[in-house]
Amino acid sequence: MRYILPVILLLTLAGCATTGGVTALTSAKDTENLQDKERRLWHEAGGFDDTIERSGQLYENRSATAYLQSVMDRLYPEFKGKIRIQIYDSTQLNAFALPNGSIYINLGMLARIENEAQLAAVLGHEAVHFVNKHSFLQRVSTKNMAAFAVSGIPFSSLAAASSISGYSRDLEREADAGGYARLVKSGYDPREAHKVFQHLADEVKALDIEEPYFFSSHPQLNDRINEFKSMSARHSGGGRVGSKSYNSIMSPLRLDALRKDIGQDRYRSVILVMEDGSKRAYYPAAGYYYLGEAYSRRDEKGDDKKALDAYRKAEKLAPKFSPTYMRLGMYYMKIGNKGKARHYFNRYLSLASKDANDRGYVQQYLKSL
Amino acid sequence: MMKKILTLIGSVLLSSGCAQTAYWTMTDDMNPVAKSTSFEMTIPEGWVRTTQPETWERIDIDGELQTVLLESMAVTYDGLGIHGISVTRRYSDTAFPTIKKKSTANMLPLEAADLYVAELRKRSGLERLKVLSNKPAKVGGKQAFELVMQYKNDDGLRIKIMTYGFVDKTGFYTISYRAPYLYYYDRDYAKFKKLVSSFRQLKGAFDPPPKIPAWAKLFT
Repeated sequence: MRYILPVILLLTLAGCATTGGVTALTSAKDTENLQDKERRLWHEAGGFDDTIERSGQLYENRSATAYLQSVMDRLYPEFKGKIRIQIYDSTQLNAFALPNGSIYINLGMLARIENEAQLAAVLGHEAVHFVNKHSFLQRVSTKNMAAFAVSGIPFSSLAAASSISGYSRDLEREADAGGYARLVKSGYDPREAHKVFQHLADEVKALDIEEPYFFSSHPQLNDRINEFKSMSARHSGGGRVGSKSYNSIMSPLRLDALRKDIGQDRYRSVILVMEDGSKRAYYPAAGYYYLGEAYSRRDEKGDDKKALDAYRKAEKLAPKFSPTYMRLGMYYMKIGNKGKARHYFNRYLSLASKDANDRGYVQQYLKSL
Repeated sequence: MMKKILTLIGSVLLSSGCAQTAYWTMTDDMNPVAKSTSFEMTIPEGWVRTTQPETWERIDIDGELQTVLLESMAVTYDGLGIHGISVTRRYSDTAFPTIKKKSTANMLPLEAADLYVAELRKRSGLERLKVLSNKPAKVGGKQAFELVMQYKNDDGLRIKIMTYGFVDKTGFYTISYRAPYLYYYDRDYAKFKKLVSSFRQLKGAFDPPPKIPAWAKLFT
C-alpha cells in the first residue's frame, strides 16, 4: 500500500516528462544542449528578465532573496545555479516561472505565506513549469493574452505571457503533482501545501474578484485545496515547516506589502489580513497602523472609529512606529483638541527620520496650532 | 507597459481619454494667459496650449467606462508624448474617481496627496510609481501639496512628475509637470514653477458644478 503513491507519482511524472513530445530537463547539465527553438525561447525570456530589472520591478532585499534561493536549491539541488529566484515588486498574490529558469514570486504572495513549507509548495510548483518546459508546450490562448494585458507585467513576449497568466489546466495539475512530490522528497511537511491555495481563495473572496485573471485558466481553487488535502492525508508523517526562519526574514516585507497595498488602494486586502487573528499573527504590530489607513480609505459607517481604534492599538503595540503619531495628531487637530494634537505631532517629529516625507506637513500643522 | 504609460500620460497631462477639443495655439507675449472657467495661468512663451479646457473624460472604474466631468488644460513645448503640463480641476464628487473618493473642503493637503497618488497608481496601473517627496506648499494662496514622483518605463528611462494640488469647497485642483528625468525635466522645471506661481482661481470656480450632459449618459 505504501508504494502506491510513489508509483502513481512516478507514472505521473513520467507522463509529464514526455508531454507533447518534449523531453523534460533532468539536471542543470541538460540546459547546455538546448535545441535552436528552445534557445530562442531562452533568449526571449532573458530579454524579459532584463526588462523587469531595468524598469525597476524587482523588490530588492538581499537576505530574503538569498533565503528563497536556498529553499529552491534544497528542493531542486540538481538545478542549482540554473533556477534563479527573484522577488517581483507587486502585492498581488502570484508567482511565475520563465522558460529559462527565472522564477519570480510576488511580494504579496511572500507576505501571505506563513512558513517555509508553504513557500516550498509554491516554488516546487513553479519549478515544474521550468523543468517540464511548459512554456514550450503552452499554446497561448486569446484569453491568456487578454489577461496578460492587465497583469501588471510589461508585455514583451508570448513565453512570458503564458508564464504569468497561467498554463492550461493539465499543465497546472502536472505542476501541482510534481511540486508536491518535490516537497515531500525534500522533507517538508506536505500538510502545509493546501494552505497556499487557501490564501488565494481568501483573497479572491475578500477582493470580490469574479474571475481572477491569474487563476482563470487554473483548476478551481477549491478543487486544488481538496486535492492537496487528500494527497497529504495519505502522507504518514510531518516534516519541516520552517515557521521561525521564514517569519524572521519576511517580517519587514510584510509591513512593506501592507504599505504598498494602501498606496495602491488595495485596502480590502489589508482589512482581510489584519482583521483575521490567524493571519494578523504573522504581521508586525505596526500593521495596525495600516489597518487604520484601510478603514479610513474604506470610509463606511463606523470606519472612523475603527480607524481610530486601530491607530491606538498601533500606538500601544508598536510605540516606535512614527506614522501612527502623525495620524493621531491629525485626528485631534481636526476635532479641535490642540493639546493632544501637539503631543502626537511632537512625538512624530522625535521618532521620524530626518528625511521623512511627511515631516514638512507636521511642522506646518504644529505652527498652525 | 506602453499602454500604462499612455494611460498615465493621459491621466497626468490631459486627465482625459477623449480629446474632443484638439485645438492648440502657440503662446507668445501677446497672449500669455490661458484662461479656463475656474482658473487662469501664464504660459511660458513659445509653448503650445489647448485653446479651451477639456470638460469631460471617459475612465475605467472597476471595469466599466464612465463619463466624468472636469476642467483641464494642457501645455507643452516638445509634444505631450515627451513632456507637458496639465492644469485640472475635478469636482468634489468625482475628485478621485477610480478609487471612488470625494474631496471635502476640510481635507488636509496631505490627505489629498495620499489619495491623488493612490488614484494615479490605480488608474495608470503603474504600481511602482514612487513618491520621492511630499511637502506642503501654497498655490494661489491656498494650502497645497507638492509631490515629486517617478517611474521607469520598459527601457529604464526615468520619468519624473511634479504635482501641486489643493482642495477647497469647489473641488480638487492639480498642476502637473511630467518629463523624462534625462535633460527635459531640469530644462523646463523653472518654467513650470513660474506657471504654478501665476495660477489664479477665477470667480467661475464658485458657480454650481455642471451636470453630465444627456448625450454623455448614453455612454454611461
